[in-house]
Amino acid sequence: MKLELRKIKVTDLALGNEMKFENGLLTIDPQVIIDGLKDDVNVKDVRVDIAKPGDKTRIIPVKDVIEPRVKVEGTGNGFPGVTTKMEQLGSGLVNVLSGAAIVTIGDIVGFQEGVIDMWGEGAKWTPFSTTYNIVVDISVADGLQPHDHETTVRIAGLRAAEIVGEVARDLTSDEVEVYEMGNIFEETNKYPDLPKVLYVEMLISQGLLHDGYIYGVNSQKILPTLIHPNEELDGAVISGNCVAACDKITTYQHQNNSSIIDLYNRHGKDINFMGVILTPELTTLEGKFRTCDYTAKLCKTLGADGVIISEEGYGNPDSDLLMICKRLEDSGIKTVLITDECSGWDGMSQPLADTTKEAVAVVSAGNVSHVVNLPPADKVLGNPEAIATLAGGWEGCLNDDGSMKCELNAVIGSTSEIGYHNLTVKLY
Amino acid sequence: MNKDYLIISNNPLVKENFQDTIYFQGTLEELLIKVRDMVHQGHELITHPLGASIRMMFSPYKSILVSSEKKEFNEFFASIAENSIEDYRKNTFNRKTDYQHKNDYAMIDKELLQEALKEHVSLRAIN
Amino acid sequence: MTYKVLYYVNQFFGQIGGEEKADIAPILKNEKIGPAMGFEQLLGGEAEVVATLICGDNYFNEHEEEALKFIIDAVSEVNPDIVVAGPAFNAGRYGMACAGVATHVFDELGIPVVTGMYKENPAVDHCKAKAIVVEVSDSAAGMRNALPVMAKITKKILKKEELGMPKEEGYFPQGKRLTVFSNERGSERAVKMLVARLKGEDFETELPMPVFDKVEPAAAIKDIKKAKIALITSGGIVPSGNPDRIQSASAQKWGKYNIKDIESLKGGYYTIHGGYDPVYANEFPDRVAPLDILKKYEKEGEIGEIFEYFYTTTGTGTSVGNSITFGVEIGKELMDAGVDGAILTST
Repeated sequence: MKLELRKIKVTDLALGNEMKFENGLLTIDPQVIIDGLKDDVNVKDVRVDIAKPGDKTRIIPVKDVIEPRVKVEGTGNGFPGVTTKMEQLGSGLVNVLSGAAIVTIGDIVGFQEGVIDMWGEGAKWTPFSTTYNIVVDISVADGLQPHDHETTVRIAGLRAAEIVGEVARDLTSDEVEVYEMGNIFEETNKYPDLPKVLYVEMLISQGLLHDGYIYGVNSQKILPTLIHPNEELDGAVISGNCVAACDKITTYQHQNNSSIIDLYNRHGKDINFMGVILTPELTTLEGKFRTCDYTAKLCKTLGADGVIISEEGYGNPDSDLLMICKRLEDSGIKTVLITDECSGWDGMSQPLADTTKEAVAVVSAGNVSHVVNLPPADKVLGNPEAIATLAGGWEGCLNDDGSMKCELNAVIGSTSEIGYHNLTVKLY
Repeated sequence: MNKDYLIISNNPLVKENFQDTIYFQGTLEELLIKVRDMVHQGHELITHPLGASIRMMFSPYKSILVSSEKKEFNEFFASIAENSIEDYRKNTFNRKTDYQHKNDYAMIDKELLQEALKEHVSLRAIN
Repeated sequence: MTYKVLYYVNQFFGQIGGEEKADIAPILKNEKIGPAMGFEQLLGGEAEVVATLICGDNYFNEHEEEALKFIIDAVSEVNPDIVVAGPAFNAGRYGMACAGVATHVFDELGIPVVTGMYKENPAVDHCKAKAIVVEVSDSAAGMRNALPVMAKITKKILKKEELGMPKEEGYFPQGKRLTVFSNERGSERAVKMLVARLKGEDFETELPMPVFDKVEPAAAIKDIKKAKIALITSGGIVPSGNPDRIQSASAQKWGKYNIKDIESLKGGYYTIHGGYDPVYANEFPDRVAPLDILKKYEKEGEIGEIFEYFYTTTGTGTSVGNSITFGVEIGKELMDAGVDGAILTST
């Protein structure tokens, strides 16, 4: 499969009367997006705003982040199986409005959190303070059941990304990233001496607000499955996760999965990157045993020498992470885990809920309980009530000057367990 | 078909919608302790006691599935039940349970329970 | 402005005397004594040692409450900006005393404390989270290297400068996991780590898993009425006079005594354990090691017989290393003697 991502660099963003891109400036006509989304009868109202890096703007609560793109050659424009007809992804030429992002807000339940601060202290902790954000606030028809509400907002976000992506259809750029890999035998013949590596990507798959989708199939329904890395980079995996702000894998992060990209960059040099295994994180223990055994078996069957395992979420998924690790290490397969930890406000608590001595190589994406001080925002996009929920978590959270204390677990993408952001933990 | 599970829950919405829920009025922490005790008495843990995100730890409500029959003591389940209490306490000792959104949490807990039941039932050989 | 330092030492470094003076009560001297003198010089005029607290190691370990009362009052009065203790090197009792001073001064008065210990000193774990414990060598010969490191850290703390990483600065990690920014994103670090592992190269995990010393329990005794049972304690119960000089804290040895011909430990035994109030144990040592009950069971046929030797040591401040050694040694004797089960009490 050969996938080319042509990066059209967005360096400024503005609202205007047309959808246009020129010299780095992306202009958005909100009405085009609004009209496009209102095709869905379940969508009642849409608001479109923009937030640029450096603006004293706070976006809260964030549901998903999606990268605007358009496929100009090859099959599978849009999100096949979800917003467009089922087609094979992973090959072709995609024009990417790189540096821009659709950020959907619009809570399905009142306790949703997830903040993106575009400036100041908060900006450091999220990767989406450096993207030019088109913020889409979707409200749904009255009386909609929660499942349908979530689906509506999810689909609307994807559709908004397609609408904006269309702007790039006839554009060109010199910056083209090429992702090309033959089948496993071809690659192994090319690099017979390189260690074989797989990437196991765990996905929250537990129900409403805790879902993932692969070509539109809810990940709760699948057995761990092999997927070509190009397919994920091309939009095959989307997020239905509306909790776990700090480590949820947003659709944008699936499209730009850093574990996949960094492994790909080493393919043919240090490693023979064979592919990706998508593993659902289920709630039942029997389910966990099944998926962990199955994942380990797939790795063994493919003859992996080393595996990187990433997690999504915190709490019960920690068990799956460690079970997969133990099964692989016991079979002689070397693992590296990427996870976040909870060491308390002072960093003195036991970092993980469970432990296993086989987990000798772990990358820590940060302490979810680390407290940051967020200055007051000039503009809030979203639901100001959500700030109260965030701040209302404990005593003395909201300061007199309007600044507030916030744990990292409420900041979008701060402790990304696919290693998307650059936090780590050091022992002092 | 005999039910081989028990629903242990402090969620009034679950009590309303699922017959034979073992409903008790208490906090989430008390529920985790009750389930831990039942595991020590021989009930098998069917669902993991914790949610999948820190936010869900602030929920006032939780529903957990255990086996209806008592079997031989299982060290793995006991260790999960115990560690869940420790982890819960570590994450919530300085946070307040989010009663303001209790109806939302009740709804989500019921949804997650439904999915868990589907998962559990689908794993049995006889359907 | 010059900062005020209060220095804590034991009877030896306080130039009072050696082991024979280990039971002196704490005293406060408004001058620099022993290592405090050299230490002050290393502060380069930025701070001065205004007083030295001296306390006997045995006194501290055996009368902790009284010792601390005096010490906390003295520290309050002097009101230093920082307290420096030791270094205790590998001395267990001295280490425990420094640890006690450190934790109480920090908790009760909020004053920072710097001390120095050898890595195997059991007192390290007792205070590393609250004080900065500099890693020093295992004997006083290392004083010349220890003081400069302690002084450097002391100055930084006084000037409210951030300390560097433990390895760089030379102190034991306090156990604080701090979230910081890295030059590389998580996935890059993960890929690097995996490549290193696959090449067999060194790598450093960012999240060390705690290691639990798991010991498989022995099989249950089939017939308790035929079993030979031994009695062991880490409660420091020894024959009157402590003939083998077992330490009150940080034990370096264990003792074994024939209890075949006595009905209980009362009268002939007492406690030397420095970690609990001895009154009730001295009155009736079987409260700590229930020989009297075992003898009763033996007479009534509830157990087969009591093994003729009673084993004892002190648990408080005793290093994990020593504890493992004692366990293995005592275990071997019990195995060789055909003992079926043992009761091990601790306090």
